[in-house]
Amino acid sequence: MTTESARRAGTAILAVTLVCGVSACSVIPTGGKSVVAVDNERKGNPLGDPYARVIAMPPKAAWSPEEVVTGFRAAMASPDDPDFQVARQYLTGDFANKWNPHSGVTVYRQGDYEKFAPLREGDEHAQVTLKGTKTATIDQDGRYRPSGGPLNQPFTLAKGAGGEWRISTAPDGLLLSEADVARGYLPVDLYFLDSHWKGLVVDQVRVPIDPAANFAKTTVERLLRGPSSSLKGSVRSALADTELIDVTTENNRVVVDLTRRVDPDLIDPMSAQLAATLTALTKGGWGFEVKVNGESYYADTPLQIDAQEQSNFDPWTTPDTVTSFYLADGALWLLDKENVGRPVPGRAGQKKSGLTRPAISGQPVQQVAALAQDGKSVSVAPLAAGGEWRVWATGESLIQPSWDRYDTLWTVDRPNDHTSIVTRHDGDNKHRYRVSAPDLETLYVKSLKVARDGVHVAVVVKDGLGEQVHVGTVIGERENTRIANLQTVVDSEGKRTIEDIAWKDGKTLYALTGKSELLEASVTAEPKPLAFDSRIGIESITALDSILLAGAKDDQGNRQVLYWTSTKWEPLVKNETGSTDFTENGPSAPAFPLG
Amino acid sequence: MPPAPKKRRRTPRQLLRGARRRTRRAAGRARRVFWRSLQLRVVTSTMVISIVVVAVLGVFLMQQIVRTTLETRESAAKSEAQADRNAVLGYLNQPAEAAKQPVESGQALQPGGSSPLSQATEALARRAGSASRYSVIIRNEGLSGEFYGTTNIDPVSIPARQRDELFKKEAGEDSTWYTPLYYKGQPDQPVPGMIIGTRLDTWGTRLDSSYEIYHLVPLDKEEKTLASVQQMIILVGAGLVLLLAAISSLVTRQVVTPVRLARQAAERLAAGRLDERLKVRGEDDLARLATSFNEMAANLALKIHQLEELSQVQRQFVSDVSHELRTPLTTVRMAADLLYDAREDFDPMAARSAELMQNQLNRFEAMLADLLEISRYDAGAADLDVDSVDVRDVVLRAVADSEALAERHSTRFDLRLPGEPCMAEMDSRRVERILRNLLFNAIEHGEGRDIVVSVAADRDAVAVAVRDHGVGLKPGEESLVFDRFWRADPSRARTIGGTGLGLAISREDAILHGGWLQAWGSHGEGSQFRLSLPRVAGAVLRGSPLPLVPPEVEMRRTWRGHMTPVLSPAVADGGRDDD
Repeated sequence: MTTESARRAGTAILAVTLVCGVSACSVIPTGGKSVVAVDNERKGNPLGDPYARVIAMPPKAAWSPEEVVTGFRAAMASPDDPDFQVARQYLTGDFANKWNPHSGVTVYRQGDYEKFAPLREGDEHAQVTLKGTKTATIDQDGRYRPSGGPLNQPFTLAKGAGGEWRISTAPDGLLLSEADVARGYLPVDLYFLDSHWKGLVVDQVRVPIDPAANFAKTTVERLLRGPSSSLKGSVRSALADTELIDVTTENNRVVVDLTRRVDPDLIDPMSAQLAATLTALTKGGWGFEVKVNGESYYADTPLQIDAQEQSNFDPWTTPDTVTSFYLADGALWLLDKENVGRPVPGRAGQKKSGLTRPAISGQPVQQVAALAQDGKSVSVAPLAAGGEWRVWATGESLIQPSWDRYDTLWTVDRPNDHTSIVTRHDGDNKHRYRVSAPDLETLYVKSLKVARDGVHVAVVVKDGLGEQVHVGTVIGERENTRIANLQTVVDSEGKRTIEDIAWKDGKTLYALTGKSELLEASVTAEPKPLAFDSRIGIESITALDSILLAGAKDDQGNRQVLYWTSTKWEPLVKNETGSTDFTENGPSAPAFPLG
Repeated sequence: MPPAPKKRRRTPRQLLRGARRRTRRAAGRARRVFWRSLQLRVVTSTMVISIVVVAVLGVFLMQQIVRTTLETRESAAKSEAQADRNAVLGYLNQPAEAAKQPVESGQALQPGGSSPLSQATEALARRAGSASRYSVIIRNEGLSGEFYGTTNIDPVSIPARQRDELFKKEAGEDSTWYTPLYYKGQPDQPVPGMIIGTRLDTWGTRLDSSYEIYHLVPLDKEEKTLASVQQMIILVGAGLVLLLAAISSLVTRQVVTPVRLARQAAERLAAGRLDERLKVRGEDDLARLATSFNEMAANLALKIHQLEELSQVQRQFVSDVSHELRTPLTTVRMAADLLYDAREDFDPMAARSAELMQNQLNRFEAMLADLLEISRYDAGAADLDVDSVDVRDVVLRAVADSEALAERHSTRFDLRLPGEPCMAEMDSRRVERILRNLLFNAIEHGEGRDIVVSVAADRDAVAVAVRDHGVGLKPGEESLVFDRFWRADPSRARTIGGTGLGLAISREDAILHGGWLQAWGSHGEGSQFRLSLPRVAGAVLRGSPLPLVPPEVEMRRTWRGHMTPVLSPAVADGGRDDD
């Protein structure tokens, strides 16, 4: 009995030992926590996400004319071949020498070949016509500009000595489909600095993808080449005198290796430029470091740049303290966090009839500028206790004033229907300068808003064709100021009127039509309708980044301020009882600082 | 002032020769150390064997790891490739169904100019994830413009032979190649990789079957992993070998150290330190060896002591007997002298007896004198009376003393003396006695032929050789001649009346001087005795200015073409120079 139990105990011990031993011997450990960290997908990939690209293939002798043209189009779309050596093989010898592929890109949609009579034996020439719709152009600067019109592009082909078809006439420049552009070009927001080295100004360009370099390198390389012609003269770059060696990633940082150090005063602007430009690739998840010829920027310490350096440098790129203002009962109100209004300090917060369209200046000295109801004067009052209204500008027919980030007030007077005078009021209205705007002076300017970057200007003009929205840039200071580089972002369309415009950020603006329709417009895309609600009459809009507010009036003439929830409008301002109903003399004309 | 010593320039050949010599010497030294050290040999062989074993195991292990890693990667890549092919087929097939109608003007174009193949490629690029996972190249040779790649892969990575193989194989069959992958922007840094190529299996669809899909999988991570594993294996292997060497060194040391101690003890014992003993530790084999050694040493010491005592007793006995014999002999001598002086008054028989008695008494006296002399040597009581003398004078004196005997044997001396003096520090009386003994011996065995006496000197030593042309010595007799009372032919009578101790005494004399007395003889060619002495008393003799074998004999032998082994000096002098 005892031996039996002892044997059993022995077997049990043996079994336990075996099980423990075997489990200890297993290769993959079970239990315990892994210490291996894997990069978060949402952090972005500064070196570029995987992409597909066309590889150019040389033509074959047996191909038909259409096949040759198709091959030529593929070769034009191939990023492998920056000199288009393969594409030139599709051309006849003479034409290959003449053809200039670098004179811009025409983008088309719906490419198809026109039907043609079948080739007969012995034909020496052939013609293939590509038909479709032009959608945009990309110029040598990389500016992508939407365009329209039909594409009707003939290619003439000649038969070579070996019986092979070669293209003998084709347009200069590249002819790419939308898909080719989407595959082969990287949309990049380049950031430059305004004339004070304080504000970041965006420049939207397309950069051809270079398989030999990563996306970040391609982007920084383009940044170093300077702004496109739409910003010529209005911005500067801290990186103007240096060249790029490489962009790599190291220890969760994007390392930019330059050939030369910049001026010590320009280190912060340079950091902001790099961080802002690359943030689209890093998605804010990577820090930066600048090296010079592979070594630390400073003798003893590396120059490390925060992932969000651009926000520290220029708070207006991502303003976080959002305070909105509105008019009610002839006074200016300030909306607090609970969406309940309270009057602003100073005279502006007290009732005064006849003020419309307020504009709020930026920090630190906040002021309000408002247009008189008759349009004859613009008054300004500081938003502080004891702040009194003062008339800054008088004229025949003034428009809503606009502040820029350096507390300069911009006003436009229209003595008659085809004259507009733009004036800037600097230094607390001590200096007034007439702004030269050759493209605007003979037109009727309906609205002018300076963007928060201080460089872009959006203008609504009315001419014989209708009302359009242009975007231009401010060049120069004081008496040498001018507005130039005007480009149309919203074209005139019949009797459509543009009631108000508001900058979303440095590149996008909202335009309000007379039918309360809201358009999102930018220089790189066709205007996109955003909201349409015919039940509500919208009078004015203001925007700050993703927040869009509107002053609305219902059929009874009651007013309320609305906010856009990305699908519909919702009333915003609560009264004392917490109600958000439309009321008589209710909240109207919402305004963000610099809005 | 003397000119500065000019530094001698050496030719490269000389340098080379010097280096080679030094290498050879070092190799010789190493070889000696190797063969002398048991420990070193054991450690070396352990290391060699373990290196072989570790290398074989390491290579095997590494091959296994490499194979497993690559197989895993390959099968994963193949299944991914399979999934990708299905996706591509889906993309290619779907619009083809939809676009049946407008296919008349050559080629169907897709909205926005995006062909299904390019859409498929974009989908694959998204599926492949980050660029380091894999790249895809899709092409259709027959359709213009249908050539797409993902990321920055360079199509030159695909070897032409793989494409050939692809077109030989059935559509849908994989062809996997391991080859370097090239990327745009890094043309000089190919990445090791694997290419899985397939022609798209379009059976059942209206597509042609010349769509080639290549999955280019970079294996740089695997290579890095494998390299680090390899490094680890090499490191661990080296560590293991060193560890084994250290262990074997330690183990051998435990065995070798006692053995070495025993050897040293044996050496000391052999050198005469009979009280040398080993320490006995423990009870193992080595302890037993030490015990046995100690017993052996004790027994040896006892035996040697007994023998020494016995020898002492014998010597004392001889000395005593000689002394005791002297007193009666003096009386006998006086009586015999009287008888001898009065022999003319005796009858002839009695006179002859008196003469005989006188002769034998002389001899007896000489013998007693020699016995006494040799017993002095045995007792260690012999002293040298050193003085710087010219060896030629000593030789001439000895020759003069031997003239009378030589004439009686009608033997002539042939003296070969150097022109200048040969000064050496010696006891001239003893050396003269040695020479006299040698000359007497030569006359006795010279059978009347000429006796050659040569003298030579060099920086350290002087030598005298006495050569006779008598019967000579038989092989092996060269050392026996110096034994006491030894006789070449026991039946031969002593004619000169030597005592049989002359050569023994001479040898003792030579040894007392730190010199050598050596004999050479050959049957029928006579014999030669050579005395070599250091010039300075007490100096160690390293060589002799005269050859032991007469030069003419040596030359004759060389001519005959066969050399007789020459007796080496060390054997004859007994190696007791430093006693």
